[in-house]
Amino acid sequence: MNIQAGTNVVETSGLTKRFGDRVAVDDVDLQIPRGSAFGYLGPNGAGKTTLIRMLLGLTRASAGRMQLLGRPVPAHRAAALARVGAIVEEPRFHGHLTGRENLTVIAAAREPEAHGRVDGALARVGLTQRADERVKRYSLGMRQRLGVARSLLADPELLILDEPTNGLDPAGIHEFRAMIRGFVAEGRTVLLSSHLLDEVEKICDAVAIVDHGRVVMQGSIAELAAGGEQAILIATSDEEEAVALLAEHRAVASATAAAEGIRVRLRTDVEAEAAADDIGRRLVLAGLAIRRFEPTRASLEQRFLEITSRLEEAA
Amino acid sequence: MNTTTFTAELPRRLTRAPRRPRLVGAELLKLRKRRGLVLSALGLTVIPMIIAYTVLLILHAADAAKHGPAGGLENLSGSMEILSQLSVVAAILVGSTLGAGDLGSGVFRELVVTGRSRLALFTARVPAGLALVFAVVGTAFAVTATASTVFAGSSDVPGAGLLVSSAAWLGLVTGLALVLALGVSSALGSRGTTIGVLLGWQLIAMPLVLQIGALGSLRNGLVGAATDRLEPARLFEGAATVPMSLAAAVAVVAAWAIVPLAAGAWRTCTRDA
Repeated sequence: MNIQAGTNVVETSGLTKRFGDRVAVDDVDLQIPRGSAFGYLGPNGAGKTTLIRMLLGLTRASAGRMQLLGRPVPAHRAAALARVGAIVEEPRFHGHLTGRENLTVIAAAREPEAHGRVDGALARVGLTQRADERVKRYSLGMRQRLGVARSLLADPELLILDEPTNGLDPAGIHEFRAMIRGFVAEGRTVLLSSHLLDEVEKICDAVAIVDHGRVVMQGSIAELAAGGEQAILIATSDEEEAVALLAEHRAVASATAAAEGIRVRLRTDVEAEAAADDIGRRLVLAGLAIRRFEPTRASLEQRFLEITSRLEEAA
Repeated sequence: MNTTTFTAELPRRLTRAPRRPRLVGAELLKLRKRRGLVLSALGLTVIPMIIAYTVLLILHAADAAKHGPAGGLENLSGSMEILSQLSVVAAILVGSTLGAGDLGSGVFRELVVTGRSRLALFTARVPAGLALVFAVVGTAFAVTATASTVFAGSSDVPGAGLLVSSAAWLGLVTGLALVLALGVSSALGSRGTTIGVLLGWQLIAMPLVLQIGALGSLRNGLVGAATDRLEPARLFEGAATVPMSLAAAVAVVAAWAIVPLAAGAWRTCTRDA
């Protein structure tokens, strides 16, 4: 695979899709950097699949512009999609054909070299032994793997995977994550659409959070999580006295005793590191022994819930 | 699936695909692997011809005075009339499957995301469908032609010219039915609906309309009138049901081939995948 350096592999501007009065994708501006695993995260019905379908030319956009691998689509769709592999929703196959024959059919629609990638793609997803069985006998997990094999026929610079772990068992999900990280390690870019926060957090480097068709936040996982609640978990020799002391501190929004210690939520308008230093100092000066002092970051899940609940309140 | 397989490299040295129309080959692969469809097509064409001539042979052997030779021109004419009708049915089955098969299985979407033009995807279906239908119907015709010649006995033996023109006419009728079914099913996106509509039209509605003399020259626009006009005169004696010029017949045949294909191609290019 010849990976081009620099630039975003996906760029959209004002991308919109309407179905009658309903807006499924609403003015989406998206930039996906090359060589990353990018999560497109949102609840069911948020417009994730519709955006992917527009990128792949399966349905037309109502408004806006988009580029895949630096090429405007749909104007240069064929050239752009030549290096894109995709699984949209559940991968579909001709059940009366074998796995290998299904790949041969798709390879015929791609560049001549795709035919030579069939065996390698089957081997990569562990389907060589079952490649000559009819697909109608495949389990859902095997179909997912065959879908990945099919997307590899393009020797893709960009892999677009829409809810790829649906229907997989825990072991299959674990292996799937490893496979995706393997693709990224090779320099490929993966766009992963999912409603599963845990999945995106474990696989992806960056994420866009989408709700009601709009991208409400976009950035690296660390940036998004850092933008949320800041807290410190503290355990001391006298929790009652510590809670009283902390409640008076100007940087503390709340201090609550819990089984693992005191959970201290900081005010959002303070600098977290300086506040933590000052809190630690005051506890020591008060003569309390500190057994645990652990600044914590909000998980992406907490951040996601914060964002979406804020949107619901605003609506 | 295990982790070690994920890290295996794709082959660096790539082998080129054989030099042939790959999309057409893929379409043909999809068709010929549908065992039920292929068996149905054979059952509608080859098997009836084998049975018919076997029965004629047995009857002739049992009572040669009462039953003439199994072959000959007369039996060729009768068997071609049946074969042409059955070949149309077979072609409709194949064409409908070809037009709606990818949509029905959901694979059309997977083909579109390759970036290949939708028109190319549609166009590849035509030669693939013709290849399968001509192979099956050609076999049936070979059985018919061979039997009518070999078992002609004292009857008139069909000449080579007549056999060639009969084969060409059968190919025309069958090919037309195929492209009609392909175009309609691609436009409708439904195999079952297409089969129902076209069988009803070809086998019931059109023959009835052709018999309504009050419609006059309006009947000239029917594909059945045009193919009647083009059939080999020595094979089917008597004038065509609807008199029309050769040029008009050719034009009607062309229209019945082009319009459905254009409709199917347009819908394939514009539908959401």
